Amino acid sequence: MKRATLISFLLCTCLAVSCLAQQTITIGFTVSRTGALNVDSLEQYRGFELWRDTVNASGGIKAGGKGYKVQFASYDDESNTKRVQQLYTRMILEDKADFLFSPYSSSLTATAAIVTEQYEKIMLTTGAAEEKTYKLGNQHLFQMFAPASQYLTAALDALKAKDPKATVAFVYEDASFSVAVVTPAKTYAQQLGFNVVFTEAYAPNTTDFSALIDKVISSKATVLLGGGHYADGSTLARQLTGHKVPLKMITLLVAPDSPQWSELGDAAYGVIVPSQWEPQSTFKAEYGPSGADFGNAYTAKYNAPPSYESAGGYASGLILQRAIEQAGGIDTAKVTQALNATDITTFYGRTRFSTQPNEHGLQVGHTIFLAQWQKDKSSKLVKQVVWPLAGKSADLLYPIH
Amino acid sequence: MMTMLRRPLFWLILLLAGIFAWLPVRGNNVALREDLILVAVAIILTSNLNLMIGYTGYVNFGHIVFYGLGGYLGLYLATVRGWHLVISALVAGVLVSLVALLFGLGILRLRGAYFALATIGVLVAVQAFVANFEPWGRSTGMYVSFDSYAPLGGPRHALWTTYFLVIGVMALSLLLSLAIKSSKFGLGLFAIREDEDAAIVLGVNATVYKAIIYSVSAFLPAVAGALMFFKNGMIDPSIAFEYMLSLEGIVMLMLGGSGTVAGAALGAGLYERLRSYLLTSPRLSEFHLVIAGGLLLLVIRLAPGGLIGWLYRLIPHSREVVE
Repeated sequence: MKRATLISFLLCTCLAVSCLAQQTITIGFTVSRTGALNVDSLEQYRGFELWRDTVNASGGIKAGGKGYKVQFASYDDESNTKRVQQLYTRMILEDKADFLFSPYSSSLTATAAIVTEQYEKIMLTTGAAEEKTYKLGNQHLFQMFAPASQYLTAALDALKAKDPKATVAFVYEDASFSVAVVTPAKTYAQQLGFNVVFTEAYAPNTTDFSALIDKVISSKATVLLGGGHYADGSTLARQLTGHKVPLKMITLLVAPDSPQWSELGDAAYGVIVPSQWEPQSTFKAEYGPSGADFGNAYTAKYNAPPSYESAGGYASGLILQRAIEQAGGIDTAKVTQALNATDITTFYGRTRFSTQPNEHGLQVGHTIFLAQWQKDKSSKLVKQVVWPLAGKSADLLYPIH
Repeated sequence: MMTMLRRPLFWLILLLAGIFAWLPVRGNNVALREDLILVAVAIILTSNLNLMIGYTGYVNFGHIVFYGLGGYLGLYLATVRGWHLVISALVAGVLVSLVALLFGLGILRLRGAYFALATIGVLVAVQAFVANFEPWGRSTGMYVSFDSYAPLGGPRHALWTTYFLVIGVMALSLLLSLAIKSSKFGLGLFAIREDEDAAIVLGVNATVYKAIIYSVSAFLPAVAGALMFFKNGMIDPSIAFEYMLSLEGIVMLMLGGSGTVAGAALGAGLYERLRSYLLTSPRLSEFHLVIAGGLLLLVIRLAPGGLIGWLYRLIPHSREVVE
């Protein structure tokens, strides 16, 4: 009798263990722990990490009757393309990564894609807005960010609604990302009928904009669009205020998204930044946490508000998780099919990938927000979502003064 | 040529290239191939830099400009013009050498710190030019479409082909260093390094010699740049002309022992493997830069002639085999 009890107990234990059959999936990616991209890349990494911890705490990804715990294989790419292929090959072949996330930035991602595509591994890209990468014939690359060409077109749409007769100046950093953003924006401005009166690119690391600002003043532009990264963007904004340039609207890339921006005081006021996501955005999530839940969990863990890079990182995990669930497992062909068919709204917004052969994987569902630094009732500077109108948290302030 | 064949180092170089080519093929080890290709590129850059710094005594801070410019030209010819990769790389090498010759005739009249400053100037000027050059995509650079790998049998084959070509360029770089070292031209360069004025008095045409070696030291890095950026899949000014890589080249040379063929290869190989190991080591990766820096300080402090100098002191007989 005793033996029978023991055997049945053992059988039950075995069954229970096999029912919960915990498998592990490995997701590989590089992080720029050192080098110029360090800040943005770390934010993105925190998004990945929070997603992994949330998924594992709830028992892993459940697909095809199995539970998959998520583990990471990641290395430092030093913000440099030199080692990216070495490290992605290593993650695929030695760490046996099942899926991949992209490094931060378009150039690192394009380099990694040469390797991931050869091994037919799915890579979700975040922090890689440049469109060229998706037009090279990749079949397993999926973009989470809205493409670079949209960054300033949203600002032009908003301007068209407020002041169709505005005269526009483009002043931007001569670097890969800003050139990729401004070139299509200029064409779009002309299509909308704006008079583009001044266009000039400045060298990265420029600290004195006075000559450039004099040219903007004499061009009689009423709206300035451009910028590049934090250092040059904040200096440009400060010097525009110092020279009292009579601008009705200033839209700068990247820099004003940082919480540090408010430290610029008067120069910060009224400046608009195109953003992939803002904490105030109120999407009704069909899948995953709400924006507020994500924001609270993030702030509790890292003691800082999430940026759009963090949201993009978390959303990459969510979209991959959903595709694995729908595919019923981790078979690459089935997950690719599920990703191709993805059209879903999460806290991060809508996600849909192009399936056209000439731009496969390009993001066509997500759109850019415009956030503007405004004053709240206590005259404190806060960032408000002003565009698209459907998701706004405040009205666009136009003209600034 | 016959004297070259009698030198043990000549055969050692061929053996090294053979081992590099054979190791990853055995067992189709792609991860090892990716490790070794970075070692090979480090050896190419360092041994060609050695021609300027070690042989001629002129510190070139902008050496990476040849690699980047070669990458741009090669990528442009191979993807936009649709030329074969090997031809594109060779043409890129020749064109970059010509450009270097022109620059060299201009800046090599300068000496010491002024020359070093001018090489930084060349790097910045070329980068600024490329960043504004429309056919090369200005600041956004150029991307390789997957179709461009088709003539080489698709990306998977293309990457193997590129690997073997890079190993070939590595062997050529070391052989070139060896050949120059044992030639009359090489003796002229050493004379310039030791005392340029005395060399001129003895009949060495210093300006021409320097311009030639500056141009020669540009050829193989440019070919390697064309191959590597093709493999990389994209190029833009910030990655093509990365100042840090120029500095790393000098560090590798100091580490191995400048002025020697084997020292340049040894320094490059060890430094690259060390950085790679630290970067992927689960325990040490957080401190990889600190450890790499600390080790370098130690080596330079304890063995100022580089590792190869230390070896010669330890086993004096080894010099006859290696040199």
